[in-house]
Amino acid sequence: MINLLSATIMMGTPLLFGALAEVIAERTGMMVTAIEGIFLMGAWAGFVGGYLSGSLMVGFLSAMLAGLLVASLYGWICIYLKQHQVVTGVAINLLIVGLCSFLYRVIFGVPITPLTVNPLTTIPIPLLSEIPLLGPILFNQTILTYIIYVLAPLSYFMLYKTSIGLTIRSAGENPEAVDVAGINVLKVRFLTVLLAGVMGGVAGAFYSIGFLGMFTTNIIGGRGWIAFAICFLGNWNPKGAVIGTLAFGFAEAIAIYMQSIGNSALFPNELFIALPYIMTIVLTVSRKSFSVPAKLGVPYLKEN
Amino acid sequence: METAFFELRGISKYFAKVIANKDVSFSIQRGEVLALLGENGAGKSTIMKILYGLYKADEGKLLKDGKEIKIDSPKEAMELGISMIQQHFSLVPAHTVTENIILGNVQGIIDHKLFGEEIKRLAELYGFELNPNDYIRDLAVGVQQKVEILKALYQKTNLLIMDEPTAVLTPQEAENLMGFVRDFTAQGNAVIFITHKLKEVMSVADRIIVMRAGRVYGDIKRAETNELELSKLMIGRDLKWVTKDDRQESLDQEVCLEIQQVTVQEKTGVPALKDISLTLHKGEILGIAGVSGNGQQELCEIVCGAILPTKGRVLLDGEDITERKIRARIDLGIGYVPADRSSDGMIMDMSIAENMLLKSSYDKKWQKRGFIDKQKLNQYTLQEIQEYSIKAPSPETLARGLSGGNQQKVVLAREVDNGEKVIVFDQPTRGLDLGAVNHIHQVILKERAKGKSVLLVSTELAEIFALSDRIAVLYKGEIQGVFNSAELTTEKIGLLMAGFREGEVSNDAG
Amino acid sequence: MQAKLRDLLITNILAIVLGIAASGLMLLFLGKNPLNAYSVLITSVVRDGYTFADIFVKATPLMFTALAFAFTYKANLYNIGAQGQFYIGAVIAAAGSLLLQNILPGWLVLIITLLLTIVGGGLWGAFVGFVKARYNSNEFLVSMMSTYVALAIMNYSLRTFLMETKAEYPQTDALAASVWLPRIIPGTRLHIGFVLAVLACVGVWILLYKTTLGYRIRAVGYNAGAAEMSGINAKKLYILAFFISGALAGVAGFTEVNGVQHMLVQGFNPDLGAAGIGIAILANGNPIGIIFAAILFGALKVGGTIMGQMSGIPSSIIELMQGFVMVFVILSYFVRTWLENNREKRKLQRAVAK
Repeated sequence: MINLLSATIMMGTPLLFGALAEVIAERTGMMVTAIEGIFLMGAWAGFVGGYLSGSLMVGFLSAMLAGLLVASLYGWICIYLKQHQVVTGVAINLLIVGLCSFLYRVIFGVPITPLTVNPLTTIPIPLLSEIPLLGPILFNQTILTYIIYVLAPLSYFMLYKTSIGLTIRSAGENPEAVDVAGINVLKVRFLTVLLAGVMGGVAGAFYSIGFLGMFTTNIIGGRGWIAFAICFLGNWNPKGAVIGTLAFGFAEAIAIYMQSIGNSALFPNELFIALPYIMTIVLTVSRKSFSVPAKLGVPYLKEN
Repeated sequence: METAFFELRGISKYFAKVIANKDVSFSIQRGEVLALLGENGAGKSTIMKILYGLYKADEGKLLKDGKEIKIDSPKEAMELGISMIQQHFSLVPAHTVTENIILGNVQGIIDHKLFGEEIKRLAELYGFELNPNDYIRDLAVGVQQKVEILKALYQKTNLLIMDEPTAVLTPQEAENLMGFVRDFTAQGNAVIFITHKLKEVMSVADRIIVMRAGRVYGDIKRAETNELELSKLMIGRDLKWVTKDDRQESLDQEVCLEIQQVTVQEKTGVPALKDISLTLHKGEILGIAGVSGNGQQELCEIVCGAILPTKGRVLLDGEDITERKIRARIDLGIGYVPADRSSDGMIMDMSIAENMLLKSSYDKKWQKRGFIDKQKLNQYTLQEIQEYSIKAPSPETLARGLSGGNQQKVVLAREVDNGEKVIVFDQPTRGLDLGAVNHIHQVILKERAKGKSVLLVSTELAEIFALSDRIAVLYKGEIQGVFNSAELTTEKIGLLMAGFREGEVSNDAG
Repeated sequence: MQAKLRDLLITNILAIVLGIAASGLMLLFLGKNPLNAYSVLITSVVRDGYTFADIFVKATPLMFTALAFAFTYKANLYNIGAQGQFYIGAVIAAAGSLLLQNILPGWLVLIITLLLTIVGGGLWGAFVGFVKARYNSNEFLVSMMSTYVALAIMNYSLRTFLMETKAEYPQTDALAASVWLPRIIPGTRLHIGFVLAVLACVGVWILLYKTTLGYRIRAVGYNAGAAEMSGINAKKLYILAFFISGALAGVAGFTEVNGVQHMLVQGFNPDLGAAGIGIAILANGNPIGIIFAAILFGALKVGGTIMGQMSGIPSSIIELMQGFVMVFVILSYFVRTWLENNREKRKLQRAVAK
């Protein structure tokens, strides 16, 4: 059980990176539908950077840069060229799939045995990790998890207690009000999208160099979209995102555990693999009302 | 002559399909109240948006105290002391009063309590009653306007621009606003207000700029002019006004539509309509007066079937139609011209012909062997285009490509046909130029002459008085009284709109 | 009007050319000469009848998934679950065929199986429409998630009740020849499913633009509020639209199982849904345009496979080409709007100068 909970925290970490990024960007009105592509690009860049340099740090920095580039393409098309966010996201995701696979081949050719790196190790925090029960679950994790322990409350504070947060929240509700207050709405939106690129890149890299230690084209398998769903189900609030992430992290941890045990007739593996997705559907249906940012998905047009 | 506080010289602005402003020049002095008068579409809002930095002029320049200035954004305008309150408020409904006022005026970590107290003090200074922690979406429109004004005052504005400020106020609230304007200018500040209401202009402005089709046609001191002259400058020609004398006396006394003790209760809070009873006779126009947001929308929706009452009944020709939904009511002959045509009445991205089909797509008359009879539809549409003088190249033109007045005519044409027994008009002439307004009034009177029952909801008292046989006043979901239109005066109706009941308003008020 | 149409054609063609060129440039990274690669591609595609016909074989399921997305798109709904509806359709097609192939004559099995896939795919899609109508759920998320659930169902079926008698791999037995979709051009893989797809495109076009039902669906798509205020039941239409959409995607499963693979294996055609969305976007939601756009994507797929067979060029060139084309098409939307605005502004300035 402790292992299960510990795995929950671990598998939830990249999801929370993605979900928090999505929350901040969506509050300004931008549905970062390219998030799946950002995750994938991050995974690829993380692996390439990490493998070629031998340093995981370089890997994560490359992932951040790659995510940033993808996000800036998405941001440019949707914010400045005012194109449709869903359509653009789908196009970019498709492109990234081809790009990552292709460039992997360009750089590494077709290796006989799959290339690997040593993934992130867990770092037990002295003293804290020895607390009974909670210790090994919460404080024997990778550095990324410790970072997210800080980022989550920080993003909550930023969003609700600072002027930047007020601006961000207002931009998604009534961008005219922000414009009239003298703030450049497009810039605010673009910056949050870039942030989503950076955080999404890190999240994607977690899967390749933080956990598995290798890169495959379907390594992300829809988890970018799960981060997207968590933002939605968490009602665009970092608090909700944390709760949603724990739920999904748990579902994923169970799936991994059940697969290691083997198949049973009553609870086939496929059921557990499908669990996070079934959960999303159930939660989407059961929630009575959502505080959707009023102008989510609507490009900001000034002069007609 | 002293140097003007602010001056516009030779401003022109072109949009993709229209010339919004051409060679506009005028100035404003400190301590002056300037009215920018013109009908809808004259270019008044555009020129002020240029002064406020929301738009950039294509030609001309701006000056402050004689020196040329550049205003490229509202931020720069605010730094020069200019603030603008637009028709559609720049407020975030989901946030509090405090959060709205400090947006853009604060840096770093926010101490909500501190700001809240500061704002409360500022509000009291000007006699505004505001709770800094209220959410904008819970506030009445008149109170929201106060928040907008307070925001301008918080930013220490010297030139306050207001776009159609009294559109959402009762006559008494409008009085209070004018009082504030006088106090504000007495302190040496300036106010420009944009309006199309002649009476308002004559009561509070020092000087008047009349605009038409993007140009300035008059720059006159109020003391040196009168309503007739201003009206002529505004329209550019004489217009035969529809007045009470044109109408014949109400013919039929037969009851057509009855609303019996209808209550509409939303899930929480105050009921939108409380125990409303109204009767409409054939060949009669019943005017519904009241400030927006007092239940007018719900009243219209009760009649057309969009909402079903929590209590009470609706009868048509004696038949109980309370449970019938929209489609059934359309078939029964109830037409509805909604206040917001782009969200409720028309589909902007479809053609005129397709819009004509909107309410009758289930009707067999438009179908030929299972498919849409396009020929028949186009022919019908052409007929309507001619009958209503709709300026459009063909029935296939997209609704979006028509001017506001022509769009409204399309809705009108359709609803007049659909509404064989009852037609509901909600703000039918809002935002339209006077030519279109006149045309629509004539259509409404013609339908009355045909014996139909007309429900006319409007915030323009002049319109209500000009057309209605009887007038009911709505306040907070209740009928304050139903009167023959001859019995009411503007002052009396104003008091009713503000919540006073029939007994409390003496007949010699005003 | 003329100028707008001209803009549309030119910018679209330019977008496709640029997209292909961009992927060609990527080939340089591999040290391959793109011009060389493309010329071989073009010659091999047109010289060989089998390869040429394959373009239309590949286009067939793409037309269905593109129609699926476009149909709900017209109602302003996002069906991201076409891939999942396709899987469900494929499972039903395989199950139906295997079950009935020895009991009933081939043509009857095909008809029954087709109807079953329509109903199955339709219901799988209608579920999304239902939760949207009843609970106002976000159909984007629900439809997307339903794909993963469908995938799990398909994998489960292949591992258990649909599994081949040999029980070695997670796949079905081969379908009997009697239940193969007949070939319309001998010597190629082109089967009657292609005709079905084209008919479906035409049928959807007629439905959307010539019937009152299609009118109502489009009205709801443009402005659900105004439609509701006009007595149109938007919620019922949501469910119907998703049913039709899901059915269309499901039929793609039928054409692939009974027309091409003649069995069901894991992981086949994993990007039909996404490519379908791309095609629908390229054709701007127009069913007739989808026919051509699907053939284009089919050509890209066949071309990509050939290039992939040439040594050293990875099969991911296909996704690369599709992705680049899609991005350039989106850019072309912007360019067209910009051109239109400029034209209007210049017209106005000329009128003012007079």
